[in-house]
Amino acid sequence: MIEYFELFIKYLPMLLDGLKLTLIIAFFGIFIAIILGIILCIFSISGIKILEKIANFYITIVRGIPLMILALFLYFGVIKNSMGTNSAAIIILAINASAYMAEIFRAGVQAIDIGQTEASRSLGLSYFQTMRKVIFPQAIKIMIPSLMNQSISSLKDTAILSAITVNELTLTSKVIIARNYKAFELYSYAAIIYLIVIIFLTYLSKRVEHKLNYNQR
Amino acid sequence: MNKIIECNHVSKVFGDLVVLKDISFSVSKGETVCLIGPSGSGKSTMLRCLNKLEVIQSGEIIVNDQNVNKVKNVNHYRSDIGMVFQHFNLFPNYTVIENMTLAPRTLKKLNKKEAIAKAEELLKRVGLFDKRDNYPATLSGGQKQRVAIARALEMNPKILLFDEPTSALDPEMVGEVLDVMKALAKEGMTMVVVTHEMGFAKDVANRILFMDDGYIVEESSPSEMFQNPKTERCKKFLSNFI
Repeated sequence: MIEYFELFIKYLPMLLDGLKLTLIIAFFGIFIAIILGIILCIFSISGIKILEKIANFYITIVRGIPLMILALFLYFGVIKNSMGTNSAAIIILAINASAYMAEIFRAGVQAIDIGQTEASRSLGLSYFQTMRKVIFPQAIKIMIPSLMNQSISSLKDTAILSAITVNELTLTSKVIIARNYKAFELYSYAAIIYLIVIIFLTYLSKRVEHKLNYNQR
Repeated sequence: MNKIIECNHVSKVFGDLVVLKDISFSVSKGETVCLIGPSGSGKSTMLRCLNKLEVIQSGEIIVNDQNVNKVKNVNHYRSDIGMVFQHFNLFPNYTVIENMTLAPRTLKKLNKKEAIAKAEELLKRVGLFDKRDNYPATLSGGQKQRVAIARALEMNPKILLFDEPTSALDPEMVGEVLDVMKALAKEGMTMVVVTHEMGFAKDVANRILFMDDGYIVEESSPSEMFQNPKTERCKKFLSNFI
């Protein structure tokens, strides 16, 4: 038992370095995914046939392919050496998450009663003013839980990116195990670290949700 | 001769369904016109065509000297036409005063101070000044509708359209909304009202249009319409209300 903790202390700095990369990739990946998701969502509710088709096609393809295959194909098949591993990881994660984000945004916007749009437009506000001032502030409240879920899911998905040699938490553990064969210890350390981060993020999202709901009732 | 709304041979289809068939009528400045008729007769659609929430397939609608088919800036066109909906459609994420000042401030018609001053005055007029900082969720149906009317008035519209404004209200709240509307009619606001409140139509309207199956079947003054309907269809419809 004491040995277990000693080992933990010994490898903690390395693991935290891995975690740092995990968080960086997750943060930028999710950030880009949200922007892509908003663009795709605008496409799919635009009412313009060709844009709707593009969004639909993208979402179908990305959601239909396992992240592992997407990562291996893009990294070894397409990107090759034209880009650093970490940047590639961010892009791959962003592409994967953006499809889900787009659907979350679309569902959120479409959940708002059409009467809200009609009232706003009848007052003379433009489509974009209506979206920005009336629809989006209401939709975001509906979206927050799903967005948070997807973000947590994407954070965990970074583990898969160890397959393309991204030196994040999972690969760091693997590398250490290759040296000392302590699979039980190292993987459990990694699991605990992921768990702590995600519990913290979940707590944060609950706080945000609560804050947003506070005003209206 | 002061026609503020003029519809000539308007027709409108949804897919295969023809909802408006060769509709022609006009509204003079300061007039209150009520549209009555059974459900599905096209009253609400007609109203929504007036501010281009629905697009017509043929004919022309001229409002404030602008032809709806040739409107370049639809937002500007709409800002002169207020609309009050059956389900109020207040914005739940804004307080009463924010609901009212959102449009004039976003469209830069008024600055913050002017918008608030005007909104407060309007709230006093509809008797809801004390609710200025409430969220819509805390208001009763009648209060919500009065705020919705005030919100429409804040834009200084030349015309107000009402789409069954009392149909979603408890019977005891209908009166407070109708009172506000009566006062507006008296002040000379031009209003087109789709309604099932025959009492209101009888007392307040200058003219009543009876619609059925996409046509305007009958058009006359309230006394004429209620005492002496010309068509069988109208007679039958009105007999439901006695």
